[in-house]
Amino acid sequence: MSNREITAEMLIKRYGDFAAVNEVSFKVSDGEIFGFLGPNGAGKSTIVSILTTLALPTGGRATVGGYDVVTQADDVRQIAGVALQEIGLDPLMKSLEMLTIQGQLFGMSRRQAQDRAMELLHLVKLEKFTDRAVGKYSGGMRRRLDLALALVHEPYVLFLDEPTTGLDPASRRDIWEEVRRLNRDKGVTIFLTTQYLEEADELADRLAIIDAGKIVAEGTPSSLKASLGGESINLTFLDAAAVETAKAQLNGLANKMQVDRNTLRLYLPGAAAAVPTAVAKLQGAGIDLVSLTLTQPTLDDVFLEVTGQRFSADVKTEDTAEEVA
Amino acid sequence: MATIQTTTTGAIKLAGKRTRHTARMPFLWQVSMMAWRAIRITLRTPAEFLPGVFISVFFLFIYQDTLGNASGFLPGLAGKSYLGFILPLSVISTALSGASLAGQSIVRDIDNGYFDKLSLTPVSRSALVLGPMLAGALLLAFQALIVVVLGVILGLRPETGVGGIFTLLGYALLTGLAFSGFTVGIALLTGSPGATAGSSFLFFPLSFLTATFVPLDLLSGWIQTAATYNPITYILEAMRHLMLEGWDIEIMTRGFLSCLLMAAVTYSFALYGMRVRVRRK
Repeated sequence: MSNREITAEMLIKRYGDFAAVNEVSFKVSDGEIFGFLGPNGAGKSTIVSILTTLALPTGGRATVGGYDVVTQADDVRQIAGVALQEIGLDPLMKSLEMLTIQGQLFGMSRRQAQDRAMELLHLVKLEKFTDRAVGKYSGGMRRRLDLALALVHEPYVLFLDEPTTGLDPASRRDIWEEVRRLNRDKGVTIFLTTQYLEEADELADRLAIIDAGKIVAEGTPSSLKASLGGESINLTFLDAAAVETAKAQLNGLANKMQVDRNTLRLYLPGAAAAVPTAVAKLQGAGIDLVSLTLTQPTLDDVFLEVTGQRFSADVKTEDTAEEVA
Repeated sequence: MATIQTTTTGAIKLAGKRTRHTARMPFLWQVSMMAWRAIRITLRTPAEFLPGVFISVFFLFIYQDTLGNASGFLPGLAGKSYLGFILPLSVISTALSGASLAGQSIVRDIDNGYFDKLSLTPVSRSALVLGPMLAGALLLAFQALIVVVLGVILGLRPETGVGGIFTLLGYALLTGLAFSGFTVGIALLTGSPGATAGSSFLFFPLSFLTATFVPLDLLSGWIQTAATYNPITYILEAMRHLMLEGWDIEIMTRGFLSCLLMAAVTYSFALYGMRVRVRRK
């Protein structure tokens, strides 16, 4: 019985003594975008190659769309689309040719395959470059074509292995847009690996953090961040005297208060919800506010918490600024 | 707005949604499509196949001009065209020097990752092997055609006429298929461009351990023994007979079977290579 789920139970992949994937279990539901976040060499690509039938697990069991990836590989290939980290394009071919061949290999007539190819080229905004050799495409164009190739046979489940690694921010946004659209409009279940915290945050409904072959945390991006309880309201005033007055006024609102020059930080869970109360109290006391920002813990903080190390790739602070007039 | 409707077969289909393509392409279609693709790609890199044509033409001139005048001294060849005797050898050399084209196209696919992409489609493994083999063979037959046309310009008048020339090209095609299978197998097993380019040289001894420059019965000792068991001997013999003597069913059949035997062996080897390559680890 076919569905759109992905399951893994105690999946193991060993190379000699080294366990690239060590007893990994998870379940991705129908229509979900599931992110696998981890640094280079954490085992992400190995899991993708097992799930997409390119490699065999050493132990454990996995299914894609209800089909066993070991014993029903052909069925898995029919319903799964794959865009690997190493883009598999022939530089001498043209995009239209490659998509047409792909369609025909999945059983379409030449005509059907060509129609489908044009449809996909429009979708990934490459319709103007059908006649250019793929070798002359930019990195972003190659990624988009690779994505189109993965979609030719209208897969129910899509595997994207680091789909935006090495792309410029604009191309990255394009891919994100496309992934969301596929998920929203076609109900495609998406399994995505990434080493970008921002990407996982942006796309994934749910994510697992993987480090050294093991899942170390799992949940929605916001629940993972909330679990740290590091949210804060940051209030900046004109001078130190105003800070002191404000501190006295707001006493009892937060778990912890911290003064940093003219800025007062209030640490409390559900910080956003407490903003109106804080602002009302300050107005009541006639204290002028220069700025107000909210800080949420980042996935990087989560990663630090669960693995004891920082992500080296892109450490960013994600401040959600909210100006108060 | 998808409405569920029941088709006459009783299957449930979502209206307004494309039906899934689960059908498989017929095998021969797969083969010809993969072959067509390989040919187009090769033609986009003329630097890969032009040297082969050049070498064959070169050999033809060299053999003709250095040995042509000596042919009168060779028993059995007196009064006959040495060009007709040596041209089949040139055709074989063409097949040899160009055979790695087929393997190279596979190595390139492995290298750029397109091979993985193909192997994740429902395409038949045999079609992935046969496609490039057939493409290689067709390219070699085309190169052989150039050699033959040149031969005709140089004065070759085959005993069997135009029909003979086409039959000769048929032999060239089958020989090319056989050699291509070998380089495809090496390509799949090693994934290395160097090993694949070098692999066709392994066949070079075969083209000399045969009735290369003189008829078989003029050979002696171990070379004659080797030549007797070398299938190329019989392919050469069939082609030469076409050029110099005329039609002979027995000789032609022997040549044809030798081609088929070689092609069957190398195809099996290439399939084995494919099995090793796509075996999941």
